[in-house]
Amino acid sequence: MTRERQQILILHLAKPELSERTVAWALYDGSRSPGAQQMQAGDQAEPQYGSVLDAMRDGWRVIQLPTLPTLPSDAEPQPGPLVWEYVLERTAEMEDGDGDQDN
Amino acid sequence: MVTRTTEHLLTARQMAQFAVDGYLEFGDVVPTDLNAAVHDDALRYPKDRGWDPNHRREFWEFSAAVREVFDLPSVQGIVQSLVGPAPRHDHSYLHKVRPGRDEAQVWHVDFALAADHPRTFDILVCYFPHDAPAEMGPTMILPGSHMRRVNYDDVTRYKNFVGQRQLTGPGGRIAFLHESMWHCAQPNRTERWRFMFKIRYGPEVPQQGHFDTEGWDADEIEAFFNAAEYRHPWGDSSKIAVEQWRSWWPYIAGAA
Repeated sequence: MTRERQQILILHLAKPELSERTVAWALYDGSRSPGAQQMQAGDQAEPQYGSVLDAMRDGWRVIQLPTLPTLPSDAEPQPGPLVWEYVLERTAEMEDGDGDQDN
Repeated sequence: MVTRTTEHLLTARQMAQFAVDGYLEFGDVVPTDLNAAVHDDALRYPKDRGWDPNHRREFWEFSAAVREVFDLPSVQGIVQSLVGPAPRHDHSYLHKVRPGRDEAQVWHVDFALAADHPRTFDILVCYFPHDAPAEMGPTMILPGSHMRRVNYDDVTRYKNFVGQRQLTGPGGRIAFLHESMWHCAQPNRTERWRFMFKIRYGPEVPQQGHFDTEGWDADEIEAFFNAAEYRHPWGDSSKIAVEQWRSWWPYIAGAA
């Protein structure tokens, strides 16, 4: 089994255009060992990438784009979860010490 | 808590800020010796006492000092401004983060599903009796998030936001949060326990006109709301939020 593992980066933008500024971000790193700490809530003041386009230039692949909303005409709009959510991925080699159990 | 006070009420400017940001914080309303007394009680309180839904005021009943804090006219005036006179003490709890805890709590919201959210709301009063620098892990909040309608765990996948803010400060800091504020406890990298006493108060009357409403429609307030569209950099629905504030504000001022 390959030692490559998936990393998922979720970027939320201020507007749907891919060069818009990042306003929220989360990283889930499958290459890290089970005991290693993942990104924590509130642990970074600035995003690593200022936009989705910036992340693409660094090798991240976009695997999900948000669907543009259809707003009902008979209800007052009310914001909920962040809407301009992009999911990106890349792979990285597993950290040392995690074993390559299937080989 | 007394039935009604006319002192120490929030001003129209402060209330407008609460509407837009979803919180207010104060560092000068609790005397130093009272902060020390509550901190002493927190240190004496059993560290292994978790939340018990059948005993919803344990630390409140344990600590006369913390009851004295919430009897202060300065605190009562703020509470009344937000939720009206004689509010319901829904529950309270001494939140504890042990020394050396290096994991953050996930982002969550206590409640945002009121039928007329955000107009009818409880408040979360967060009181830090001791100095709470960033490394000690005081609560992180996301100003402005109270306008969004999400369920408790919906936001746990998020990790970081532009504009997130930690409630750091010297002992005695007390913050008043809209019930729908997104928040999370932070890691405590010190060798001391981090305490935060939190009360949830709910209104018994419509939340209209309970603050000092003088000047509620002044040009200064109008200008504040006009500028608020750009106040929260993470907001992707700021124009919707502006319309919500404009609808909510006359209501909360008691003029609509």
